Amino acid sequence: MYQDYAYLIVALPVLAFLLCIFIGWRLPRGGGILTVLATFAGLILSLGIFMEIYPDGIVHQSMPWFANFNIGILIDPLALVMLLMVTFVVTLIHTYALGYMKGDPGAARYFAEAALFTAAMLGLIYADNLLQLFIFWELVGLCSYLLIGFWYRKPSAAAAAKKAFLTTRIGDLCFLAAIILLYNNLASLNLNLGPNEYLLQFPVIYANIAQIPPAQLTLIALGLLGGAIGKSGQFPLHVWLPDAMEGPTTVSAMIHAATMVTAGVYLVARMFPLFYAAPHALQIVAIIGAFTAIFAATMGLTAFDIKRVLAFSTVSQLGFMMAGLGAGAAVGVMAVGVAIFHLIGHSFFKALLFLCSGSVIHAVNTNDMREMGGIGKYMKWTMYTMLIGSLSLAGFPFFTGFFSKDEIIVIEYEYGMVINFLPYIFLILAATLTAIYTFRMWFSVFTGKPRSDYNKHESPWIMLAPLVILSVFALAFGFVAQGSFYSYLDSNFEHYDVNFKELGVIGGHVSSEIHLAGEQIAAEAEGHEKPAEEHSSETAHGESGEAEHMPAEPWYIQILPIFIALGGILLAGLFYWDRIKKFDADQVTGEKDPIRIMLLKGYYQHEILTAWFAEHFVYGVSLLSNVIDIKLVDGWLNWLSAWVLGFGGHVRKVQTGVVQNYITAIALGVVVLVVAIEVIKVVIL
Amino acid sequence: MIPLELNILLASVMFTIGLYGLFTQRNGIKLMMCIELLLNSANINLVAFSAYQPNVNGQVFALFSIALAAAEAAVGFAILIALYRLYGTIDLDNINAMRW
Repeated sequence: MYQDYAYLIVALPVLAFLLCIFIGWRLPRGGGILTVLATFAGLILSLGIFMEIYPDGIVHQSMPWFANFNIGILIDPLALVMLLMVTFVVTLIHTYALGYMKGDPGAARYFAEAALFTAAMLGLIYADNLLQLFIFWELVGLCSYLLIGFWYRKPSAAAAAKKAFLTTRIGDLCFLAAIILLYNNLASLNLNLGPNEYLLQFPVIYANIAQIPPAQLTLIALGLLGGAIGKSGQFPLHVWLPDAMEGPTTVSAMIHAATMVTAGVYLVARMFPLFYAAPHALQIVAIIGAFTAIFAATMGLTAFDIKRVLAFSTVSQLGFMMAGLGAGAAVGVMAVGVAIFHLIGHSFFKALLFLCSGSVIHAVNTNDMREMGGIGKYMKWTMYTMLIGSLSLAGFPFFTGFFSKDEIIVIEYEYGMVINFLPYIFLILAATLTAIYTFRMWFSVFTGKPRSDYNKHESPWIMLAPLVILSVFALAFGFVAQGSFYSYLDSNFEHYDVNFKELGVIGGHVSSEIHLAGEQIAAEAEGHEKPAEEHSSETAHGESGEAEHMPAEPWYIQILPIFIALGGILLAGLFYWDRIKKFDADQVTGEKDPIRIMLLKGYYQHEILTAWFAEHFVYGVSLLSNVIDIKLVDGWLNWLSAWVLGFGGHVRKVQTGVVQNYITAIALGVVVLVVAIEVIKVVIL
Repeated sequence: MIPLELNILLASVMFTIGLYGLFTQRNGIKLMMCIELLLNSANINLVAFSAYQPNVNGQVFALFSIALAAAEAAVGFAILIALYRLYGTIDLDNINAMRW
């Protein structure tokens, strides 16, 4: 029954958007309660659908749109967990925003845009075809632009919004190109489509991947990856995400931590069969993700703005997810479950961390951690909820982040056994840095002595309640949900006509002899192909449960992440916790240390991208184009119009304004006409 | 019966007077009168030819032409009144806002 109303999950936030934008200013708190209720209704509906179809159903509704396209709703396990997470987290964040945005003159605009964003994100998640997904994808980008620039009178916010929009546009262009390529390839197959089947529908794509030439598959996968890189802030398109912190903190929590930026990861997960079939695509995903993870983590280490620390950590954690998906090259489709599990867990604790930082900023009125210190004394609730979030992010044992991140590191190890260890090494280092910078932040905000004169008060209950609820999830979600989550997500592609074994052969993840020789040899096969082959055959045949199928890693690999987390936290404590402080960061590295300066400056990205690339290279090209534009393109047009003007200037003198002249002209004309007719008569006849 | 030549002569004399008036006069109303002369000379031609060649069509057209002339005169005088209100004169030499 709930699934018949699945469209309401998007329709209600759209309604809330319309109400807020048109009459929100008349309602108390900008009509924010409408947005909260609409999102909450989405959560109820998603839960209802979950009850109905768990564990092995899907919802697929579709109606024709125009020509070869349709609009439809596809709720499979992958979409469902995302729906639940987004509606849940966003409901809490909207509730928090009721308190956080109180008294802001733009509150109605905020809640309208937030509702539109929610609608777009939910539409993106349960779109049943790639085109629809792309439309909502763009809408999400638009909302991100609007919300980053929410305080548009602040020049830095306006600039950050523009930067985010333009940077993600590069990725979106790749995405669009990939859609066109995919459509062309599918159209050239001349498929026999059923009555309610369309080329870009996911089930149709999944079923026909094997028939597309592998080179084309790689191109398509790279295009999709480009879109994902832009949206999820992966290197080299990560530059917009830290700047996006100019928006209200709730926006950062909602868009740039918990939901929107996960769209890129979701896209790769959604198109995983295609990535799996495309040679080299997953290796690229893995290396980009892993590199981003460590790259962003190092920058998080030196940032002073509390929100930027969290932003870098978001970029880094998204890198973990991407790397986890990339590890699918070795472990097959279970990588989707692992990456999405981290995605869900991350959105809980990252939303929590952002909301806590918002609570701190709300009280202290600054983002700079150098002006905080000792806040824990006055904000007990915020301190402890943020501690839970930080422990989860750092991967402290038995918190959510511990289970999800560990799993990624473990499958990265398997990836390393098969392909190379580069992503594994990157991720291990990134995980260490994560623990360090997270607790650097926590210690320097909440412990020690106040370093400036700030307001000392706890936030209102409407902001604290979401913190408490989120912290429960950040604490327990991983422990409670782990087992059933993996098996549920692993069953995702069983609903479709996907043969991972065949795709693995195309993608070069499974050697073809084994494929040809059948499963008996596969079971006996030793060495590199074994995990991938074993897993893909397993998923292809719908057997779930992976604990017994997982190849055992050495014990030191499995417990290494625990030591990393504990060691990182301890190290951060030695530097930043006044009770056990042993070192001073300034003394250890010195002010002039080149590495430190490099990290502080964010690898000179600003210098390279803005000062050098933008101001020299792009500026030079712009000058050249300007000359061509003015001299050549405008030139001949200007010449033409000047000629027309001059000619008209002469001709218009005919209009003397003297009636007699006109009459003379008419009479003369008649005479000439008569004479001409006579002459013609004589000549011709 | 008056010979056809006399009719045509009358028409051409009227036409020439009208044309001469258009060339020489500056006053808007006089110009309107001259235009009426031109029109009516054409009407005389229509009626004359229609009478000499037994065919009533020409007279019908003359009637149409008279009706149109009435309408034209109404519009023309209305314009002249408007011009007078604006410029305080209907001397067309002074009314030249549309010249280059």
